[in-house]
Amino acid sequence: MAGAASAQTVLRSSDTHPDGYPTVEAVEYFGELVKERTAGRYAVEVYHSAQLGEEKDTIEQVRSGVIELNRVSMAPFNGTVKESIVPALPYLFRSEEHMHKVMDGAIGDQIKTAFEGAGLVVLAYYDAGSRSFYNKQKPITSVADMKGLKFRVIQSDIFVDMVAALGANATPMPYGEVYSAIETGVIDGAENNFPSYDTAKHFEVAKNFSLDEHTILPEVFVMNKAAFAKLTPEDQEIFKQAAKDSVAKQRELWAAKVSESRAKVEAAGAKISTPDKQGFIDAMKPVYEKHVTDPVLKKMVEDVRAVQ
Amino acid sequence: MMILFGVFTLLMLIGTPIAFCLGVASFATVLYLGLPPLVIFQRLNSGMSVFSLLAIPFFIYAGDLMVRGGIAQKIVAFAASLVGHIRGGLGQVNIVTATLFGGISGSAVAEAAAVGGLMIPQMKARGYGADYAVNVTSMAALIALMLPPSHNMIIYSISAGGKISIADLFTAGIVPGLLYAAALMVTAYFVARSRGYPTEVFPGFARVGRLLLISTPGLLLIAIIFGGVRSGVFTATESSCIAVLYALAVTVFVYRQMSWQDFVHATFGAVRTTAMVLLIIGMAAAFSWLMAFLKVPAALIDWMNTISENPIIVLLLINVLMLFLGTFMDMGPTIIICTPIFLPVALAYGVDPVHFGVIMILNFGIGLNTPPVGAVQFVACAVGKITVWEAMRSIWPFYLAGLIVLGLVTYVPALSLWLPGVFKG
Amino acid sequence: MSTRLVKTGRALSGLSTLSLWLAGIGLVMMTAIVAWQVFCRYVLNDSPSWTEPGAVMLMSWFIFLGAAVGVRENYHLGFDVLLYVIPKGGKKWLRMISDFVALAFGFGMIWYGVELVRLTWDTILPSLHISGGWNYVPLVAGGVLISLFALERIVLRLAGEPIDELLDEMPPAEVAAELDTANVKA
Ligand code: NA
Ligand code: NA
Repeated sequence: MAGAASAQTVLRSSDTHPDGYPTVEAVEYFGELVKERTAGRYAVEVYHSAQLGEEKDTIEQVRSGVIELNRVSMAPFNGTVKESIVPALPYLFRSEEHMHKVMDGAIGDQIKTAFEGAGLVVLAYYDAGSRSFYNKQKPITSVADMKGLKFRVIQSDIFVDMVAALGANATPMPYGEVYSAIETGVIDGAENNFPSYDTAKHFEVAKNFSLDEHTILPEVFVMNKAAFAKLTPEDQEIFKQAAKDSVAKQRELWAAKVSESRAKVEAAGAKISTPDKQGFIDAMKPVYEKHVTDPVLKKMVEDVRAVQ
Repeated sequence: MMILFGVFTLLMLIGTPIAFCLGVASFATVLYLGLPPLVIFQRLNSGMSVFSLLAIPFFIYAGDLMVRGGIAQKIVAFAASLVGHIRGGLGQVNIVTATLFGGISGSAVAEAAAVGGLMIPQMKARGYGADYAVNVTSMAALIALMLPPSHNMIIYSISAGGKISIADLFTAGIVPGLLYAAALMVTAYFVARSRGYPTEVFPGFARVGRLLLISTPGLLLIAIIFGGVRSGVFTATESSCIAVLYALAVTVFVYRQMSWQDFVHATFGAVRTTAMVLLIIGMAAAFSWLMAFLKVPAALIDWMNTISENPIIVLLLINVLMLFLGTFMDMGPTIIICTPIFLPVALAYGVDPVHFGVIMILNFGIGLNTPPVGAVQFVACAVGKITVWEAMRSIWPFYLAGLIVLGLVTYVPALSLWLPGVFKG
Repeated sequence: MSTRLVKTGRALSGLSTLSLWLAGIGLVMMTAIVAWQVFCRYVLNDSPSWTEPGAVMLMSWFIFLGAAVGVRENYHLGFDVLLYVIPKGGKKWLRMISDFVALAFGFGMIWYGVELVRLTWDTILPSLHISGGWNYVPLVAGGVLISLFALERIVLRLAGEPIDELLDEMPPAEVAAELDTANVKA
């Protein structure tokens, strides 16, 4: 390793979000810190805007060592790392603060350990806010309003079952077709956080945003396990600390982004309503019965609920 | 970067199929860079495993069914009665047929085969030069790309990250497509006049009406696709599947011309064509992954910025570059490779992404009619039994018409953007 | 030609026809699946979640099968200008290189396809509830067929069979597929 010390190693990281997005900025900040603290021996190059592929593809790339780093959402891991299901469960986190406490604590560490089984080291959990439903038909004030509406959801069994449990209709569809599909009426709406609702311009066609906050799902910043193992113990510490430092920055950027997007869509005529959440929470029983059968997951759910 | 483009060019020159040129060039580059080669095969697989790409097999399949089942023939008969009496009559018939057929088919290659297969032998028999017949056919076939449905517009939307409305792209192509058809008709008229080509006898309005009635079930597909997408019954991608079902229903139940054997042949034809096209698209995805990895697009933008800051010049430059690339490459992969490179530049100069899509499609469309890689021209020449070089000798007036329309479409955004605006209200 | 070559040729020809039929059935099934998706959403107001990934997986099967048949039938699009101007002897060697390129790429598809299957075998696809490795099985199958068909052409050429002469009389590769359509009922 001593011989390599003079040369610079460039680590490549993928992100599906565009340049300037909080996660992209955070990983770039991580790269600056690493470069500074290793005296330039390591640098990080971020490929934003899905230049290297969609999340499913770049996850395979980072697992096989094509790229070293990757910032992805947690949902694509649900079929690989069972512990990753827990934070994706609807209405489990009571608030963002609750989520932060859980992920920064023992349960977050338990999930990190589980990711090592898939050949990945979790360097950080980043904020992705809360996801809520929006549609073109009407404001949602209670579960009853959801009945019969067609929502595009991500390819995830939990999300499909959640929408069904609410009496609505989950419609799978490529993300790129959602705008036209809402506009022409193929579907009534979709679900996402404020920044995506804004940047995908869905607020132009689906004006009713209902702040039901069904998931508060953090994203992960991961590193290929073999690449991480190659670092000296001192460098490993530097990487971990830099990632930790980037989290604080990302959370700050994220909060600013959410208020900016929220202001923008409201100015453009989007109507934001706050439905009665208890009805939504009560409707989730069948989803938990179906997806939380494993004793490990059951215990984790109890632990999460116990965190105050 | 040298290896990527070097290996590609070398293999292409010795006649290796383009799909393998793209794949092996990417493979060699990855080995050189010391990356796990697995990524090439992953990109190949996921580049073609995209739901929106389903539109390609479906629209090609629908086109093959319409030709086998007699829809195309009925449209030719109707067009012949309508415009056959204009100077260069069968040339005009060819263009009108292409316009009508282009409104129900998205593939220019299939259209050249379908319309050319019906029209070129007739034109030759009536004393038209084979070169004229071939050039009219190949240039008119490009109308299919501009008028909805157009799977190349779907490829463009996917390549742009899927954030451009396909319904808007479909609508935006209509006016430029009709303008292009009109320009070709005028050109065909003057060329025919200088060569002294004959006209047909006008058969009378009664016969025109009767033939219109006969071809109506086929032509209704335009209304079904367009109406279905605009009213939210199905998405643009799904409309391609509806086109297959509708073509099948019309040929089996209305025209009763589809035998089991015809059906099997149409299916195999569609399998062959789409497997060829989609394999290239998958390989192009691997190739463009490497271009992104090597940061080629960023380098190109920097280079463009050093040449000029004037949007008119930049657009001209982009057009020239795209025409050049289209000359050497096939449409699908060129769109996949060029969209991430040129769209950011165009956006930076204030060009609407829907407008830019129309510009790009017309550009690469003209490239389908230029050697050395010009699938539409090759098909038309093969049907007309002449060489590409014979066709090239007299294609210039038609190229000129195409370039004039390209200039108008590039610098008059309203041609593309007016109609989508009307629909949005 | 030796009887063994003839027998192998017949077997490969059967394999190619089988692939074409399977691909054709795949295309028809794909049509049915997407039509079912539209029907369920628009008429029943209840969208199944398996139709989209199911149709996409069928598509990759039929592309790889059809692409392999294309290697045998030589209908892949290429830049043929040099092939028309150089003498026959040289042409043969250029075609030989192209076949080796296809063979090498076919091997790559098998080798790295298997690696991708192994890498993703522990993942589960949402909606379909099968292993993520199935995404890459068509890639491996296509690789096996492409290698076989490319190898067949190489062996036949080495055995002195006139496969290149037959090619010279055929229309350009990219035209063949569509020409068949153009010649009906003209
Ligand atoms: Na069209
Ligand atoms: Na060309």
